[in-house]
Amino acid sequence: MSFMLLGILNSQAAGGGAGAYDLLETTTLTSSASSVTFSGLGSYSDYAHLQIRGIARGDRSSNTRGALSFNINGDTGGNYAWHYLRGDGSSVTSNRGVSASRMQYLWEIPAVNATANQFSSATIDFLDFSNTNKNTTMRLLQGIAGADNQVGIASGLWNNTSAVTSIDIIDLFGNLVSGSRFSLYGIKGA
Amino acid sequence: MATPTYDLLASTTLATATASVTFSSIDQSYGDLIIIVNALGSTTLEARIRLNSDSGSNYNSVRMSGNGSTATSASLASQTSGSLSVIADATTGEAILLKVEIQDYTATDKHTSILARANQSATGAEATALRWASTAAVTAIEILTSTGNWAIGGTFNLYGVAK
Repeated sequence: MSFMLLGILNSQAAGGGAGAYDLLETTTLTSSASSVTFSGLGSYSDYAHLQIRGIARGDRSSNTRGALSFNINGDTGGNYAWHYLRGDGSSVTSNRGVSASRMQYLWEIPAVNATANQFSSATIDFLDFSNTNKNTTMRLLQGIAGADNQVGIASGLWNNTSAVTSIDIIDLFGNLVSGSRFSLYGIKGA
Repeated sequence: MATPTYDLLASTTLATATASVTFSSIDQSYGDLIIIVNALGSTTLEARIRLNSDSGSNYNSVRMSGNGSTATSASLASQTSGSLSVIADATTGEAILLKVEIQDYTATDKHTSILARANQSATGAEATALRWASTAAVTAIEILTSTGNWAIGGTFNLYGVAK
Protein backbone atom coordinates (compact mmCIF):
# COMPACT_ATOMS: atom_id res chain seq x y z
CA MET A 1 0.00 0.00 0.00
CA SER A 2 1.30 3.40 -0.84
CA PHE A 3 0.37 6.52 1.04
CA MET A 4 0.31 9.45 -1.33
CA LEU A 5 0.42 12.89 0.17
CA LEU A 6 -0.69 15.17 -2.59
CA GLY A 7 0.47 18.73 -2.64
CA ILE A 8 2.43 20.76 -0.27
CA LEU A 9 0.56 22.13 2.64
CA ASN A 10 2.55 25.21 3.27
CA SER A 11 4.72 27.46 1.19
CA GLN A 12 5.59 30.32 3.44
CA ALA A 13 7.10 33.30 1.73
CA ALA A 14 10.65 34.25 2.59
CA GLY A 15 11.33 37.62 4.14
CA GLY A 16 9.99 39.53 7.07
CA GLY A 17 11.24 39.39 10.64
CA ALA A 18 13.86 37.09 12.03
CA GLY A 19 12.96 33.66 13.43
CA ALA A 20 14.79 30.92 15.29
CA TYR A 21 16.53 29.61 12.16
CA ASP A 22 17.28 32.29 9.62
CA LEU A 23 19.01 32.49 6.27
CA LEU A 24 21.69 35.17 6.60
CA GLU A 25 23.70 35.04 3.38
CA THR A 26 24.22 32.90 0.29
CA THR A 27 27.13 32.76 -2.13
CA THR A 28 26.58 30.88 -5.38
CA LEU A 29 29.61 30.88 -7.62
CA THR A 30 29.08 32.00 -11.19
CA SER A 31 32.77 31.55 -11.96
CA SER A 32 35.53 29.55 -10.33
CA ALA A 33 37.04 30.81 -7.08
CA SER A 34 39.75 29.55 -4.78
CA SER A 35 37.76 30.36 -1.66
CA VAL A 36 34.53 31.71 -0.27
CA THR A 37 34.47 33.95 2.80
CA PHE A 38 31.66 34.87 5.12
CA SER A 39 32.76 38.06 6.87
CA GLY A 40 31.22 40.63 9.16
CA LEU A 41 29.80 37.86 11.32
CA GLY A 42 29.91 40.11 14.37
CA SER A 43 26.69 41.63 13.12
CA TYR A 44 25.01 38.27 13.73
CA SER A 45 25.90 38.08 17.41
CA ASP A 46 22.24 37.91 18.36
CA TYR A 47 22.39 34.32 17.13
CA ALA A 48 23.89 31.52 19.22
CA HIS A 49 25.09 29.27 16.41
CA LEU A 50 25.89 29.41 12.72
CA GLN A 51 25.20 26.74 10.16
CA ILE A 52 26.62 26.52 6.66
CA ARG A 53 24.83 24.35 4.15
CA GLY A 54 26.73 23.84 0.96
CA ILE A 55 27.22 21.89 -2.22
CA ALA A 56 30.54 22.05 -4.01
CA ARG A 57 32.88 20.72 -6.67
CA GLY A 58 36.49 21.64 -7.41
CA ASP A 59 38.83 21.65 -10.38
CA ARG A 60 41.82 19.84 -8.89
CA SER A 61 43.70 18.45 -11.86
CA SER A 62 44.32 14.75 -12.51
CA ASN A 63 42.17 13.67 -9.57
CA THR A 64 38.67 12.52 -8.83
CA ARG A 65 38.66 14.25 -5.46
CA GLY A 66 39.77 17.48 -3.81
CA ALA A 67 39.21 18.92 -0.37
CA LEU A 68 38.11 22.06 1.41
CA SER A 69 39.60 23.59 4.53
CA PHE A 70 38.39 26.20 7.00
CA ASN A 71 40.08 29.18 8.63
CA ILE A 72 38.54 31.50 11.17
CA ASN A 73 39.15 35.25 11.43
CA GLY A 74 41.96 34.93 8.89
CA ASP A 75 44.11 33.07 11.43
CA THR A 76 46.64 30.83 9.69
CA GLY A 77 48.69 30.10 12.80
CA GLY A 78 48.96 26.62 14.27
CA ASN A 79 45.79 27.09 16.27
CA TYR A 80 43.51 24.42 14.88
CA ALA A 81 42.75 20.79 15.61
CA TRP A 82 40.54 18.45 13.63
CA HIS A 83 39.31 14.87 13.43
CA TYR A 84 37.34 12.96 10.88
CA LEU A 85 35.63 9.57 10.65
CA ARG A 86 35.08 8.45 7.09
CA GLY A 87 33.68 5.50 5.15
CA ASP A 88 34.64 4.80 1.53
CA GLY A 89 32.44 1.81 0.80
CA SER A 90 34.90 -0.79 2.03
CA SER A 91 36.34 0.45 5.31
CA VAL A 92 36.03 3.16 7.93
CA THR A 93 39.07 5.27 8.70
CA SER A 94 39.90 8.17 10.98
CA ASN A 95 42.53 10.86 10.97
CA ARG A 96 43.36 13.96 12.96
CA GLY A 97 45.51 17.04 13.04
CA VAL A 98 46.74 19.18 15.92
CA SER A 99 48.47 22.54 16.01
CA ALA A 100 47.39 22.84 12.42
CA SER A 101 47.18 26.00 10.33
CA ARG A 102 43.62 25.19 9.28
CA MET A 103 40.83 22.68 9.72
CA GLN A 104 41.58 20.58 6.67
CA TYR A 105 40.35 17.57 4.70
CA LEU A 106 37.04 17.70 6.54
CA TRP A 107 34.97 18.17 3.38
CA GLU A 108 36.04 16.22 0.32
CA ILE A 109 34.68 17.34 -3.05
CA PRO A 110 34.63 15.89 -6.57
CA ALA A 111 37.43 17.10 -8.85
CA VAL A 112 38.20 17.22 -12.57
CA ASN A 113 38.18 13.46 -13.13
CA ALA A 114 35.00 12.80 -11.15
CA THR A 115 31.68 11.96 -12.77
CA ALA A 116 30.22 14.94 -14.62
CA ASN A 117 27.65 16.95 -12.64
CA GLN A 118 28.65 15.25 -9.40
CA PHE A 119 28.83 17.58 -6.41
CA SER A 120 29.40 16.96 -2.71
CA SER A 121 27.07 18.37 -0.10
CA ALA A 122 27.75 19.20 3.53
CA THR A 123 26.13 20.63 6.62
CA ILE A 124 28.46 22.46 9.03
CA ASP A 125 27.68 23.83 12.47
CA PHE A 126 29.75 26.45 14.28
CA LEU A 127 28.59 26.43 17.89
CA ASP A 128 28.53 29.44 20.20
CA PHE A 129 30.50 31.38 17.62
CA SER A 130 30.40 34.70 19.45
CA ASN A 131 31.02 33.34 22.95
CA THR A 132 34.37 34.62 24.27
CA ASN A 133 34.47 32.24 27.24
CA LYS A 134 35.45 29.20 25.21
CA ASN A 135 37.29 28.14 22.13
CA THR A 136 35.31 27.69 18.93
CA THR A 137 34.22 24.23 17.82
CA MET A 138 32.53 23.02 14.68
CA ARG A 139 31.11 19.78 13.32
CA LEU A 140 30.43 18.60 9.82
CA LEU A 141 28.58 15.92 7.83
CA GLN A 142 29.59 15.46 4.19
CA GLY A 143 29.50 12.95 1.41
CA ILE A 144 29.97 11.95 -2.19
CA ALA A 145 28.42 8.86 -3.78
CA GLY A 146 29.43 7.36 -7.06
CA ALA A 147 32.68 6.22 -8.57
CA ASP A 148 34.55 7.91 -5.75
CA ASN A 149 32.58 7.03 -2.65
CA GLN A 150 32.91 8.75 0.64
CA VAL A 151 30.77 9.76 3.60
CA GLY A 152 32.17 11.39 6.71
CA ILE A 153 31.60 13.18 9.93
CA ALA A 154 34.19 15.57 11.31
CA SER A 155 34.93 18.04 14.04
CA GLY A 156 37.19 21.05 14.25
CA LEU A 157 38.60 23.30 16.93
CA TRP A 158 39.90 26.84 16.71
CA ASN A 159 41.97 27.20 19.85
CA ASN A 160 41.00 30.81 20.45
CA THR A 161 38.30 32.45 22.55
CA SER A 162 37.77 35.39 20.23
CA ALA A 163 34.35 35.83 18.72
CA VAL A 164 34.18 34.47 15.18
CA THR A 165 33.90 37.33 12.72
CA SER A 166 34.83 35.57 9.49
CA ILE A 167 34.99 32.04 8.07
CA ASP A 168 37.08 31.16 5.02
CA ILE A 169 36.21 28.07 3.00
CA ILE A 170 39.28 27.30 0.91
CA ASP A 171 39.88 24.81 -1.88
CA LEU A 172 43.14 23.13 -0.90
CA PHE A 173 44.05 22.00 -4.42
CA GLY A 174 42.55 24.43 -6.90
CA ASN A 175 39.31 26.30 -7.40
CA LEU A 176 35.72 25.74 -6.57
CA VAL A 177 33.72 25.55 -9.77
CA SER A 178 30.72 27.55 -10.92
CA GLY A 179 27.52 26.27 -9.36
CA SER A 180 29.09 25.63 -5.96
CA ARG A 181 26.83 27.16 -3.36
CA PHE A 182 27.26 28.05 0.32
CA SER A 183 24.44 29.36 2.49
CA LEU A 184 24.90 30.75 6.00
CA TYR A 185 22.18 30.43 8.62
CA GLY A 186 21.78 31.78 12.13
CA ILE A 187 20.26 29.74 14.94
CA LYS A 188 18.88 31.52 17.97
CA GLY A 189 19.76 30.48 21.51
CA ALA A 190 18.19 31.20 24.84
CA MET B 1 18.38 40.95 6.18
CA ALA B 2 17.70 37.66 7.88
CA THR B 3 15.14 35.45 6.23
CA PRO B 4 13.15 33.13 8.49
CA THR B 5 13.20 29.66 7.05
CA TYR B 6 13.05 25.92 7.88
CA ASP B 7 9.40 25.75 6.99
CA LEU B 8 7.22 22.71 7.42
CA LEU B 9 5.99 21.83 3.94
CA ALA B 10 4.17 18.58 4.55
CA SER B 11 3.60 16.12 7.35
CA THR B 12 2.00 12.75 7.75
CA THR B 13 1.46 10.30 10.58
CA LEU B 14 0.57 6.83 9.44
CA ALA B 15 -2.89 5.64 10.40
CA THR B 16 -2.34 2.38 8.57
CA ALA B 17 0.78 0.43 7.79
CA THR B 18 2.20 1.41 4.42
CA ALA B 19 5.17 0.52 2.25
CA SER B 20 5.88 4.06 1.14
CA VAL B 21 5.15 7.69 1.79
CA THR B 22 5.29 10.16 -1.06
CA PHE B 23 5.63 13.92 -1.03
CA SER B 24 4.65 15.26 -4.41
CA SER B 25 4.23 18.65 -6.10
CA ILE B 26 7.08 19.91 -3.95
CA ASP B 27 7.41 23.68 -3.70
CA GLN B 28 10.34 24.77 -5.90
CA SER B 29 11.08 28.04 -4.09
CA TYR B 30 13.47 26.67 -1.43
CA GLY B 31 17.16 25.79 -1.60
CA ASP B 32 17.28 22.57 0.39
CA LEU B 33 14.83 19.98 1.66
CA ILE B 34 15.01 18.14 4.96
CA ILE B 35 12.97 15.05 5.77
CA ILE B 36 12.63 13.76 9.30
CA VAL B 37 11.37 10.21 9.70
CA ASN B 38 10.57 8.53 12.99
CA ALA B 39 9.07 5.17 12.16
CA LEU B 40 9.16 1.50 13.04
CA GLY B 41 9.07 -1.17 10.38
CA SER B 42 6.67 -4.11 10.42
CA THR B 43 9.76 -6.23 9.83
CA THR B 44 13.49 -5.61 9.64
CA LEU B 45 13.88 -3.45 6.60
CA GLU B 46 16.03 -1.04 4.66
CA ALA B 47 14.82 2.54 4.29
CA ARG B 48 15.06 3.74 0.72
CA ILE B 49 14.34 6.86 -1.30
CA ARG B 50 13.10 7.38 -4.84
CA LEU B 51 12.94 10.76 -6.57
CA ASN B 52 10.49 11.85 -9.24
CA SER B 53 9.23 8.25 -9.48
CA ASP B 54 12.48 7.33 -11.26
CA SER B 55 12.98 3.58 -10.94
CA GLY B 56 15.91 3.47 -13.34
CA SER B 57 19.34 2.35 -12.16
CA ASN B 58 20.34 5.88 -11.22
CA TYR B 59 21.03 5.76 -7.49
CA ASN B 60 24.43 5.40 -5.84
CA SER B 61 25.13 5.39 -2.13
CA VAL B 62 27.88 4.93 0.40
CA ARG B 63 27.35 4.44 4.11
CA MET B 64 29.32 3.95 7.27
CA SER B 65 27.83 2.23 10.25
CA GLY B 66 28.69 1.49 13.83
CA ASN B 67 26.89 -1.17 15.85
CA GLY B 68 28.66 -0.91 19.18
CA SER B 69 31.47 -3.28 18.36
CA THR B 70 32.55 -2.69 14.77
CA ALA B 71 32.53 0.12 12.22
CA THR B 72 31.85 -0.82 8.62
CA SER B 73 31.34 0.87 5.28
CA ALA B 74 29.52 -0.33 2.18
CA SER B 75 28.46 1.11 -1.14
CA LEU B 76 25.73 0.41 -3.66
CA ALA B 77 25.86 1.43 -7.32
CA SER B 78 23.22 1.66 -10.05
CA GLN B 79 20.32 0.97 -7.75
CA THR B 80 16.66 1.51 -8.67
CA SER B 81 16.17 3.43 -5.43
CA GLY B 82 18.61 4.96 -2.99
CA SER B 83 19.58 3.24 0.24
CA LEU B 84 19.07 5.57 3.21
CA SER B 85 19.57 3.17 6.10
CA VAL B 86 19.91 -0.51 6.90
CA ILE B 87 19.50 -0.32 10.66
CA ALA B 88 15.70 -0.43 10.96
CA ASP B 89 15.47 -3.60 13.02
CA ALA B 90 11.81 -4.14 13.87
CA THR B 91 12.59 -6.74 16.50
CA THR B 92 13.91 -4.01 18.76
CA GLY B 93 10.50 -2.36 18.92
CA GLU B 94 12.31 0.94 18.51
CA ALA B 95 11.54 3.43 15.78
CA ILE B 96 14.38 4.50 13.53
CA LEU B 97 15.26 8.19 13.59
CA LEU B 98 16.22 9.25 10.11
CA LYS B 99 17.22 12.71 8.89
CA VAL B 100 17.55 13.19 5.14
CA GLU B 101 19.00 16.37 3.59
CA ILE B 102 18.71 17.19 -0.10
CA GLN B 103 20.81 20.16 -1.15
CA ASP B 104 20.00 22.30 -4.21
CA TYR B 105 17.03 20.12 -5.09
CA THR B 106 15.84 22.51 -7.81
CA ALA B 107 19.25 22.74 -9.50
CA THR B 108 19.47 21.46 -13.06
CA ASP B 109 23.25 21.84 -13.37
CA LYS B 110 24.18 19.05 -11.00
CA HIS B 111 23.16 15.59 -9.89
CA THR B 112 21.06 15.49 -6.76
CA SER B 113 23.17 15.00 -3.65
CA ILE B 114 21.65 13.59 -0.48
CA LEU B 115 22.97 13.15 3.06
CA ALA B 116 21.27 10.89 5.58
CA ARG B 117 21.84 10.19 9.26
CA ALA B 118 20.09 7.28 10.95
CA ASN B 119 19.98 6.14 14.54
CA GLN B 120 18.39 3.24 16.34
CA SER B 121 19.94 2.97 19.75
CA ALA B 122 19.53 -0.79 19.99
CA THR B 123 21.11 -1.31 16.59
CA GLY B 124 23.58 1.42 15.77
CA ALA B 125 24.25 4.68 14.02
CA GLU B 126 24.79 5.42 10.35
CA ALA B 127 25.77 8.18 7.96
CA THR B 128 25.02 7.83 4.26
CA ALA B 129 25.71 9.88 1.14
CA LEU B 130 23.63 9.32 -1.97
CA ARG B 131 23.60 10.61 -5.50
CA TRP B 132 20.71 10.55 -7.93
CA ALA B 133 22.34 10.61 -11.38
CA SER B 134 19.90 13.07 -12.84
CA THR B 135 19.97 16.83 -13.34
CA ALA B 136 16.19 17.12 -13.08
CA ALA B 137 14.73 19.25 -10.34
CA VAL B 138 13.25 17.15 -7.55
CA THR B 139 9.47 17.43 -7.58
CA ALA B 140 8.51 14.24 -5.75
CA ILE B 141 10.10 12.17 -2.98
CA GLU B 142 9.11 8.67 -1.97
CA ILE B 143 10.38 7.15 1.27
CA LEU B 144 9.92 3.43 0.89
CA THR B 145 10.82 0.14 2.47
CA SER B 146 12.87 -2.66 0.96
CA THR B 147 10.33 -5.10 2.34
CA GLY B 148 7.29 -4.93 4.56
CA ASN B 149 5.65 -1.75 5.79
CA TRP B 150 6.22 1.29 7.90
CA ALA B 151 4.12 0.63 10.99
CA ILE B 152 1.17 2.64 12.25
CA GLY B 153 2.29 5.79 14.05
CA GLY B 154 5.29 6.45 11.85
CA THR B 155 5.86 10.15 11.22
CA PHE B 156 7.27 11.72 8.06
CA ASN B 157 7.90 15.48 7.93
CA LEU B 158 9.20 17.51 5.02
CA TYR B 159 10.83 20.92 5.54
CA GLY B 160 12.04 23.57 3.14
CA VAL B 161 15.15 25.65 3.81
CA ALA B 162 15.69 28.87 1.85
CA LYS B 163 18.99 29.62 0.17
